[in-house]
Amino acid sequence: MAGFRLIDVAKPFLPLLPEVELPFETLPFDEKIVYTIFAGIIYLFAEFPLVGVSKDIQSFPINDPIYFLRGVFAATPRTLLEFGLFPIISSGLILQLLAGLKYIKVNFKIQQDRELFQTLTKLFALFQYFVLANIFIFSGYYGNNLTIVQILVLNAQLIGSGLCTIILSEVIDKGYGFISGAMIINTIVISTNFVADTIGITQIKIDDADNTEAQGALINLIQGFRSKNKTIVGGIISAFNRDYLPNLTTTFIVIIIAAIICYLQSCRVELAIRSTRARGMNNVYPIRLLSIGCLGLLFSYVNLFYIHIAAFILIQLVANNDPSSIICKILGHYENVNNILAVPTFPLSLLTPPRSLIGGLFSQPLTFIVFTLFIVSTSVWFAKKWQAISGSSARDVAVEFKDQGITLSGRREQNISKELDKVIPVASSTGAAILAVLAACGELLGLKGKAAGIIVGVAGGFSLLELITLDYQQTGGNSNLRAVLGTPSTSATQF
Amino acid sequence: MANEKSDNQIEKLMDAPLEFVKDGNQFLNKCKKPDLKEYTRIVRAVGIGFVAVGIIGYAIKLIHIPIRYVIV
Repeated sequence: MAGFRLIDVAKPFLPLLPEVELPFETLPFDEKIVYTIFAGIIYLFAEFPLVGVSKDIQSFPINDPIYFLRGVFAATPRTLLEFGLFPIISSGLILQLLAGLKYIKVNFKIQQDRELFQTLTKLFALFQYFVLANIFIFSGYYGNNLTIVQILVLNAQLIGSGLCTIILSEVIDKGYGFISGAMIINTIVISTNFVADTIGITQIKIDDADNTEAQGALINLIQGFRSKNKTIVGGIISAFNRDYLPNLTTTFIVIIIAAIICYLQSCRVELAIRSTRARGMNNVYPIRLLSIGCLGLLFSYVNLFYIHIAAFILIQLVANNDPSSIICKILGHYENVNNILAVPTFPLSLLTPPRSLIGGLFSQPLTFIVFTLFIVSTSVWFAKKWQAISGSSARDVAVEFKDQGITLSGRREQNISKELDKVIPVASSTGAAILAVLAACGELLGLKGKAAGIIVGVAGGFSLLELITLDYQQTGGNSNLRAVLGTPSTSATQF
Repeated sequence: MANEKSDNQIEKLMDAPLEFVKDGNQFLNKCKKPDLKEYTRIVRAVGIGFVAVGIIGYAIKLIHIPIRYVIV
């Protein structure tokens, strides 16, 4: 099979898959903002419950096996967004990584190759939606003994919403909005979840006696003062440690993590540069600690997702979650908690963050080591590979320097690449490692995916803000939104 | 002889993370950290943006609740 290339697989699908046309000209600043925000809003709006499954949550025989991964991929259980953005993010990351490492032969200079690669990415994402949907359907996640019609309807819903999400994120990718589609949608969903968890006023039934509590942790604290069925002290304590809904402790941890990321985002090494053409033009070239953002962490979570889905297939589909079968003896089985979550037992629990710190310390102490090691090592591995292929490696920057006629002060021009090579890879892998440790710490405190979620969200929000301010300056501040909202603080422009 | 070699390999394997930590530490020491003024500015910008987008999103979710009642 000489000359076979993986991207040729996508060729027959090229005319079949819908595609977003590139915009004719660069869009004005305002329109880009509107596109960006509306993409997120449409995604949020798509969160409809699935048709064709039983409405009563208690009646589902199988619980959610990937509950702690949902926060990172903007997925909501038993809705159209069952798998969220996972297939899009994973397909983008993995295919680009493979192409960068030359496992997939793509010549990005040829237009047709680029198109094929793009179609392959979409196809792979769609394929993952299909596979995941059917794994969940046949495992009994949506109820046992589904009829063929129900199976078809579920498939149509899950894959259809998947296709819509793919196209929605493509709209942003193609230049109608800022940064990458999956990233911005993720950021918007994560920020929405954060607001809902803090000041959400939705009342949710918590017991059989029809008592309700607010979803938001802060609102719940205030309600606790005038609640009839508990004392004031009891209300305050439960506001901090209830485990069935968001509590104030997790909110605080999430805010602290967000603050730490803001700090890390602005850490950088500044290399002194000077122009080779004009004298006395001295400046600095910043190399940021988090130059690849949260991609390393996302890659770790993509891996975790695959591992847990593979385990779910083996344990649920093959062994039927029967503790006495061989597979379950090797991999562990699922235990139902609170009637919502399927919590795996030992060996698989090594890669599952505990639901609370204290409980975790006693019941699964090894997880603390294995989970952290796994996240850190995959993140760092990815960061090392990614910085070399993403167009900001030492060699690329050196070429860029040469083109623009700048050089590092006090260094010979030939040595730039070597000099940069000492800084850039270290920067990206150190940044990835720090983020991974931060995420692992948060997860091990029992945040059920919110720690990694907030890291992805804030890092995404940060790059969005950066691009918006850059674009704003380039268009010369010519914006109607500004007229409505007032001048944004010019101080936000430089970081 | 073979034993010595494997010892070396283990040593190398142990050295890799240590070196990584050392390099990372060096890099962090060289890093220019934001001062308090810059930091508060960044936190304010990101915080306001994040919460504003979150509130818009949550408003959408609230609209969603009656719609759910109607169609379910």
